[in-house]
Parts: sequence; structure tokens; C-alpha cells
Amino acid sequence: MASKRSNFNRRKSFDAVRAVVNDVRVLVARGLTKSYGDVQALRGADLDVAPGQITALLGRNGAGKTTMISIIAGLLQPDSGSVELGGIDVFSNLDAAAKLTGIAPQETGVYGVLTVRENLEFFANLAGVGRTERASAAAEVADQLGLTELLDRRAGKLSGGEQRRLHTGCALVHRPQLLMLDEPTVGADVATRAQLIESVRSMANEGAAVIYTTHYLNEVEALDADNVIIDAGQVLARGTREELVEEHRLSGLEFTLDAPLDAAEVERLGATNTEGNTYRTTDDRPIGALIADLGSQSEGLLGIESLRPDLETVFLAVTGDRLDEGAS
Amino acid sequence: MDAIRAIVGVQLRIIRRDPWFLVIMFGMPLVIMPLFVDTIGLSLQAEGYGDASGAEQVVPGQVVMFGFMLAGSVGFSVYREHGWNTWDRLRASAAPAPSLLAGFAIPWILIHLLYQVTLLVTGALLVGLRLKGSIIAEFLVLLSYSCCLIAFVLLLTAVFRTINQVNAIVNLGAMVFGGLGGAFVPVDGLPKIAQYLSPFTPSFWAMEGHRAVFLEDGGIADVLPSVGVLLGATVVLAGLAVTRFRVDETKEFFG
Repeated sequence: MASKRSNFNRRKSFDAVRAVVNDVRVLVARGLTKSYGDVQALRGADLDVAPGQITALLGRNGAGKTTMISIIAGLLQPDSGSVELGGIDVFSNLDAAAKLTGIAPQETGVYGVLTVRENLEFFANLAGVGRTERASAAAEVADQLGLTELLDRRAGKLSGGEQRRLHTGCALVHRPQLLMLDEPTVGADVATRAQLIESVRSMANEGAAVIYTTHYLNEVEALDADNVIIDAGQVLARGTREELVEEHRLSGLEFTLDAPLDAAEVERLGATNTEGNTYRTTDDRPIGALIADLGSQSEGLLGIESLRPDLETVFLAVTGDRLDEGAS
Repeated sequence: MDAIRAIVGVQLRIIRRDPWFLVIMFGMPLVIMPLFVDTIGLSLQAEGYGDASGAEQVVPGQVVMFGFMLAGSVGFSVYREHGWNTWDRLRASAAPAPSLLAGFAIPWILIHLLYQVTLLVTGALLVGLRLKGSIIAEFLVLLSYSCCLIAFVLLLTAVFRTINQVNAIVNLGAMVFGGLGGAFVPVDGLPKIAQYLSPFTPSFWAMEGHRAVFLEDGGIADVLPSVGVLLGATVVLAGLAVTRFRVDETKEFFG
């Protein structure tokens, strides 16, 4: 009871903070829709981000994450909907809006024949950073991302992880108000991941709003991000980890058999069929009790997993499917 | 304007880091020039240019033909940005299509112009090309030809999805337009049907300008028709390129 009250109070305080923060939102995206031929990538998605807030966009491949941030960055025109950045309508003031944003697309994009310094200074120049400030901006970002020793090395000679850091650095070298990182740690080593996460947190501490798409839930937890779950082009849930777990609590067991159960058997077990021969119970039954309930069917048990109330099970509860962390 | 300046700067830097293509493009015509000078010289003398050595036709002819091939590099630069995944980053600067295209066109117009001048100077040293007419008139011919070709390749870039398609058109264009335009042999020596088609090629107008300067002691007024046609074509081609170019269209680089 005490724990529920404490959760309730914490949630109220989150809501209060959010109400204040939302008054100065950097990004307000409303009703975004986008289709590619017959495929509807976004179906009326909304997104708000406040200064200093890290928003993790969680979704499987094809959920609409990249389409959403491409629209926010002005790289794609939505079929309908609006995007305001710092009160500026993105599509009628693309130039002004571009100065406020930094985007690191999913694929590493740096000039291999140029040095790290030249890459950073070029993108700073492109974003309108003055000649006198470019060198210090590049040095600052290099320091933040552990690239200082490599400033005069050609980007093509860097390791994959170093290139990934430079790729991200090019997006934040002009200190944008809204930083968008599309799966920044894909293919990165552990050290690079840690460095990138630290940089994102540091940018947020400086007041930048960050949108971060990822498949890796441990990164989201490390970032202490506000989570937006997106599936089939729609935002299905939003909140801090605690809020989402509270709201979409899912616990129980998920088990897979070597043969399907008949409907009567599924009902007797109090389970639901999730996919193929995989079934889920959502009561507090211990594993031993489930095995006993399965009786002779337990001989065909291929696997059994306990569902804990965490972001992964929240995702499962909200979308009906798992977030494939291995996917990229 | 800032975006144009930034892109021009970075493109020039990239080209400077990998100049081997330019070196090869410079070397090839130098090998070809001496092979044809004497034969073409006899042909020009038969045309009535008694003191012609042949360099007056061969050197500008190579400049015109290899210049066409070099112009393909502007397309290569654009497609390469897609291959390097940097195109979206350029687009994220919100630079409009004309600015992006200008950022790629300006360095290549400068390099193309420098390439032509260097080939002419080297041709003078190698096979005795002599400037009889106005140096300013010759400069105008070179500049207008550079602008026209870069605009043409940008239009190809706007239309075609892959670098291979653009390369094929550029290589074919260099040969066909070069041949029809009189880059190999004077237009008078071509079959009648080819002579009718010649004025529809930029190579023809460039060669007309070069002939006016190198064979006929021509001045600015003598090259104005050539310069006018080439600049007029530049405006039309660049206009079409800007109109047709879609910044959000995916282009395929090699592989």
C-alpha cells in the first residue's frame, strides 16, 4: 500500500514537472502521417519534446521511427500533420528550423578523405557556425567524444566505433536545441556506446532536447529517458520507465511447446496464444505450478520464461510483440 | 550562400585529396595529340590554312572531347555523397536544391576551366599550338563550354538514378558529340547528315570558337555566336536541372 502511494505521489510529481516543462517545448509534432506507396509508415503520430529531455523512440524495424525523425528534421515531407521547432513551423521555415536541429542518421555518414577536424568544421560551417568559432566547436565536441587525439587523422582511417562517434559529433557540433540520433550505437563497441550515452546525457544537461531511437533497452535505462513506444506508425504509449511499468504492468510466464494446445486446454490453463506454439499466462503462478498444470503436455515443453515488469514486458504488453534487440 | 560556400570548400578539399583522376584525364590527351598533328595539319592546309600545323585542330579537339568526359565528375561528386551517406547531412542544412547544385557545380566549373587552359598550354609546348587571336575571346569560349557541360551533367544527375547511367551517357556523349562537333576532324570533313546534326552539339560551338581564335586570328566579336549559344544552353540546361532535381530522391553510387 505504501509502495503504491509512493508511486502515485511520484507520478503526480512527474506530471507536475511535465506540465511546466511542456510550456517550453522545443518540439511539437502533431498528427504526422506518411505513406510510401501502399505502406503507411506513420498514422497520425504526435511527439512533444522539452528542453533537457531525452526521448527514446522505441519500436521495431519499420515501426516509423526513422520516418518520424526524418520528417522532424525536414528531410521528408509528411502527407499531413505539423511540426513546430522552437515555435517555428518547420516546413515553412526550413532554413531557420535547420539551425535548431542536429541529426545523425542511421548510416554512418562522414567524409573519409577528410580529417576528423575537417569533418567537424565543415558540418559546423554548414550549420552556420562562424569561422572564428568553428575550431573551438570542433575541439569541444572532439573532447566530449574522446576524439581529441584523432583530430588530424583522416576519418577513413578511424575504426568503426571512432567513425560512429565522429558521425554523432557532426550532428552536435553546432550545439543544436534538438538533437536527433537514429540508432547511434548500432555496430558500436562497448566503449563507444558508453561514450555516446555520456555525450547525450551531457547535451541534455546543457539543455538540448534529444530524440534517440534504439533497439537497446539497457541504453534507454542508462539515459533515464522518457520513452515513446511506436508501432505500425502510431505512438502507443509514452512515459518514464516507472510510469510505463506502472501503467502497462505485465508479469507472468511465457512458454513454448513442441505441439499446439487445443482451445479447451488453453482455456483450462488460463493462457493466451501469442505466436505459433508459444503461450502466455499473466497471473502470479510459479513455474512449478504451471508445469504441474501442463501435466503430460510438459514433456513437450521447449522453453519457459518469466515475464518481469520492465520496459521489455511493457513493450510486449503495449504492442503485443517483443522489441527485437538484435535487429538493426 | 553560406551553404554554397561551405560545400564548394569541402568539394575542392576532397578533389585535392584524390587528384589521380585529374592526372589521368590530363595525361591521356597528351598521348593522343602528337599522333594526329601532322595528318590534320595537311588537312587544314588543304582547307586553305597554309601555315597551319594541325595543332590548331588537334589540341582544341582533345580539350573538347576530354573536357566532356571530365564534366562527368560533377555527377560523380553528387552520387558519391549518396554512397558516403553524407547527402542527407547536406540536406539537413536546409540548403535548397539550387544551392546544393551550385555547391557542386562551382568547383567543377573552376577545375574544368583550369583543365582546359592547362591542356592548351601543354599543347602549345608539346605540339606547337600558337594563339593567333584574342586571349580573352579564347577564355570566353573555354568558360562558356565549361558552364554548358557542367549544367548538362547536372541535368543528367537530376534525371538518372544511378552513377552508371550517367557515366554511360557522358562517355557516349563525349564520343558522339565530339565526333559530330568536329573534335576529331573538322566538320567540313564529316558526312552531310553529320554536318546537319553538328550545330546541335556543344562540341560544335566550342570548336567553332577555338577555330576562330586559333586559325582565323579571331577576337571577341568572332566568338560571340559560340559563346552566346553555349551560355544560352547553360541557362536552359541549368534551369531544367534545378526544376527536375529532387533532393529527397535516392541515388545509387557504385554497389
